[in-house]
Amino acid sequence: MKISGSHTVALGKERAYEVLQDPAILARCIPGCESLDRIGDDEYQMRMKMVLAAVSGQFAGKVRIADQSPCDSFRLIVEGSGKAGFMKGEGLLRLSGIEEGTQVDFDGDVQVGGTIASVGQRLIDATAKLMIKRFFAKLADSAVE
Amino acid sequence: MIAQDFNYSTPATIEEALGLISGGEAKLLAGGMSLIPLMKLRLAAPGHVVDLSRVAGLSGISEAGGAIRVGAMMTHYEVESSALVRARCTLLAETAAMIGDVQVRNRGTMGGAVAHADPSADYPAALQALEARVTIAGAAGTRVVSVDEFFVDTFTTGLEPGEIITGIEVPVEPEGTGVSYQKMLQPASGFAIVGVAVRIRKEGGVISFARVGVTGLGSRAYRAAGVEERLAGTAGSASDIANAAAVIADGIDANSDIHASAAYRAQMARVFGARAIQAAVNRAA
Repeated sequence: MKISGSHTVALGKERAYEVLQDPAILARCIPGCESLDRIGDDEYQMRMKMVLAAVSGQFAGKVRIADQSPCDSFRLIVEGSGKAGFMKGEGLLRLSGIEEGTQVDFDGDVQVGGTIASVGQRLIDATAKLMIKRFFAKLADSAVE
Repeated sequence: MIAQDFNYSTPATIEEALGLISGGEAKLLAGGMSLIPLMKLRLAAPGHVVDLSRVAGLSGISEAGGAIRVGAMMTHYEVESSALVRARCTLLAETAAMIGDVQVRNRGTMGGAVAHADPSADYPAALQALEARVTIAGAAGTRVVSVDEFFVDTFTTGLEPGEIITGIEVPVEPEGTGVSYQKMLQPASGFAIVGVAVRIRKEGGVISFARVGVTGLGSRAYRAAGVEERLAGTAGSASDIANAAAVIADGIDANSDIHASAAYRAQMARVFGARAIQAAVNRAA
């Protein structure tokens, strides 16, 4: 399934590019992230606990950053699995300087499988959007600090 | 499948229930139409389930001070078949009658549906159009929140951990108000792909009051203020309605799933919005 959208970060473009790839900041901003450890160049192992409505599930997975074109764009590749199911996603994040800071446009593809997908098919898009919204909301808070 | 082991409590009072959930780990059970299937699939595995079915003060439907209070544990069937709701807040009764199927309506509760905040649930459209209020009990006392404040996002509400919805308040509809709830339903689940609830009042042949609530389209049910503005002061002709319904999806990041793409959903919101407005206009005296 395709997901795309755009969010504004109140940071200069260079700083926004840095922040979006800073594991310490990402760990704080990814909803439910419990740990994010470096396992290689631009590659991280992640554990997260997703809680939404009555559903809660632990996921373990990997995050990889590729195709970096400093300050303009990079590609984010995420995969994870847990008892509830698995997900795989890949997206291109593009940064552009605007008056309020930086606009981040993302365009990607997500696949979700397992129990969570077979019963929650109609909610995948809404849930993905919610998680991304929460991520950028937290990022906005972290950026101010 | 069988749910994972859990502790089960049946408190008799709100205070007792609040005490049981104060730790933050317990999950409240109302009608169980969403929680139980999730537990059986093991997508939810709460260690402690607090059943609200025996708590006093969460049932009943009554009228006071221009409002109707529906107890949080009233089932959809009790709402749709209540003589008071049918006569004095028809939109709510008609919306309740369109939820899911008869089994769901016999067990599912209004408080449970509202707390769950499914982005495709039916009640939220009507509650937005009705400018309803949610009564919430917590350790610090009782508070009342407007639904617009209450529905925050997909499955996200203004309910804090440790709080319980005790009831929902809707206004008593003045005579002559025309209402309608129209939904495009997903046949397997009965959930709304889009659903639009409308209230219309006329004065001297023109629309003097319009409220439009939309569910299923965005991340939460919302009031379509743009549509309301375009309707106000018009005679409610077919072209007035089409002109108003045209902006129903404006500014909304539409949901998309295997049943309906974002563009199709937005178009269906316009189509079902126009139908609901037309039906409400026809019924308004």
